[in-house]
Amino acid sequence: MDCEKFDRVVLDLLYGELDELTEAAAKRHIEHCSRCKGVSSGLRATREVGAMALVDPPEGLELGILEAERRLNAKLPLGKRLGRGVSILAVYAMRPQLAMAALLALMIGSSLFFLRARPGAQSSVLVTERGVPETETERVVIQPLPAPRDLAPLASAAPRPASAKPEAVAMRDRDLDKSSESAAAPTEAKEEAKGAAADGEPLGAAEPSADSMDAATAAFQSGRYVEAQRRFEEIAARGGSEAPVAALQAVEALRRQGGCPAAAPRYHDVHLRYRDTPSGSEAAWQAGDCYRALGELARARQNLEALLDVAEYRSRAQAALQELAAREEQVASAKKVKSAVGVATPPAAGSPPAAAPPAAEDKPAKPRSVDDGR
Amino acid sequence: MVRYQRGDREAFALLVKRYNKQVYNFVLRQLRTPALCEDVTQEVFMRLVQNAAEFKHEARFSTWLYAITRNLCIDQLRRLQHRRHPSLDQPVGDATDSRTLGDSIASQHYTASAERSAGASEVQASIVRAVEALPEDQREVFLLREIADLPFKDIAEITGVPENTVKSRMRYALDRLKQALCEFEEYARALR
Repeated sequence: MDCEKFDRVVLDLLYGELDELTEAAAKRHIEHCSRCKGVSSGLRATREVGAMALVDPPEGLELGILEAERRLNAKLPLGKRLGRGVSILAVYAMRPQLAMAALLALMIGSSLFFLRARPGAQSSVLVTERGVPETETERVVIQPLPAPRDLAPLASAAPRPASAKPEAVAMRDRDLDKSSESAAAPTEAKEEAKGAAADGEPLGAAEPSADSMDAATAAFQSGRYVEAQRRFEEIAARGGSEAPVAALQAVEALRRQGGCPAAAPRYHDVHLRYRDTPSGSEAAWQAGDCYRALGELARARQNLEALLDVAEYRSRAQAALQELAAREEQVASAKKVKSAVGVATPPAAGSPPAAAPPAAEDKPAKPRSVDDGR
Repeated sequence: MVRYQRGDREAFALLVKRYNKQVYNFVLRQLRTPALCEDVTQEVFMRLVQNAAEFKHEARFSTWLYAITRNLCIDQLRRLQHRRHPSLDQPVGDATDSRTLGDSIASQHYTASAERSAGASEVQASIVRAVEALPEDQREVFLLREIADLPFKDIAEITGVPENTVKSRMRYALDRLKQALCEFEEYARALR
C-alpha cells in the first residue's frame, strides 16, 4: 500500500470499516511511513478528544412523544387504520410458517376432494343395456317374440305391428270400451288400463301387484306361461269386465305351453261363453285357426262361420272360409284318387303312395305353437 | 420496528427510549436552536408512526430514522432562514457580553453532564463551537457519523452524495476540529 491509497482508506481505518486484509496492509504501511503514521495519529487523537458528549433531552420529551403517538393513532382516519391493519396482516401472512401451513392445508383439501370422487369406491351398480342403473325407473323388459300364425293368409289378413301395445292390453281396451258403453261409470281398472295404453309403456315397466291383470300380463310377456295362465284364469273366474280378456289370455298361455291340441277346445269354450265380446270373437278366430291347423276342418268352419255376423271379422272370415272350402275340395279329390288307385293296384308293402296329400293337409298339425310360442 | 408494525405499542416505547437522545442531539447540533429541538424530535417520531406501514426493512431502521430527521432539519433550517431566527454566532445579551448563542447552548448542556463527567468544559465548548462552525454539509456528515454512528455508506444514501464525497467531507470536518483542539493539553497528550 502506498501513501495515496492510504489517504483513501484512512477514514475507514479510523472508524473500523475496512476489511481485514486492507486493514492489515494499512497498518503495515503506517509502521514504515512516518507521514501516514502522523496523519493517522492526528485523526485518531482528534476523534478521541473531540468526541461530542450527548446532551440529555428534556425530561418530558419521551412521555410527550408517546402521548403524541397515542393521540395520533386515535385520530387516524379509517382508511389509514385499515391500511395499517392490512399491513399488520400482511406481515403475518408473509411469515414462511404461515405460508407453509396454508400450502399444506391446500394440499390436504385438494387431496380429500379428489379422493372423494375416486371411482370404484361406491358399491357396484347393475346397469341395463342402455347403461342406466337398474334401480332407476327404467327397467328392461324382455318382450316375447310374437307368435307366428299357423295360417299365413289369415295372419296377413290381420297384421299387427310388433311395437303395438300387447294383445292383452289391446283386447282389454276393446272390452272395456264396450262395457263402458253399457255401464255409465268407468271403473278404476279402466282408467288404469287407459293410462297404460295411452302411455304406450309395457306393462312390465313397474312391478305388478298380485292378482292384477298387469301381473298376469307381465308373467305372460316374460314367458312364465304356467303362472300367466293361472293368473288369467283367476281373473276370469272372478268375473267382471276383465273376465273375457283374461279367459282369452289364459287360453293363449295354454297354447304356448301345449299348442293347438290343448288350446283349440278352450278357444271354442271362450267363444261360446263370451260370444258378444271382442274377446269372444277373437277366441272364435283363434279356434278356427287351431282347428284348421289340426286338420279338423269342420270344426274350423263352424267357428269361422260364427264370425260372419261380426263386422270386424266378417271379411277375414269369408276369405278364410273360401280357402277352407278349396282345401276341402282338394282333400276330397285326393281321397277319390286314392280310393281309385287302391282298387286297381293294391300298393306294395313299404312303397309310398303315388300321390300323397301334403302332410299339412291330412296329418294333424304338428304342435307348431309349442315351437313358436315357447 | 417489526414488532411495532405488528401492532405492538410497547415496541414503539422501546424505539423512543433507544433513539430519542441521539435524535435530539442531532437536531440540536443541526438547528442550533434549542427551542425547536423538542418539537422537531417529537415530529420525527410522529413521522415514523405515520409511515411505519410503508417501511419495508430494505434499509436499516436507523438509516431510515435519520433520513427523516435530516429532512425535517432541512425544512426547519429553511424556515429559520425566512423567519430570521437568532443565529448561534449572534451575541446574546447586551453589547458588553461577548458570549454568543452557541456558547450559551454549550454551557447550558455541558455544564450539566459532560463537564461533570469529563471535567473539560473548555474542551467541550470548543468542540461544540468547532462543530457548529462547520459548513452545513460537513457538519451533517460529521453528526451522522459521530452521533448517529452510521457507516459512510448509509450516510451517502441519506445525503444523496457518493461515499467518497462523504469521506472527503468528514476528513475536512476532522481537520477543522483538529485545529480547534490544538491548543489543549489533553489533545497533545492523546497525540503522543
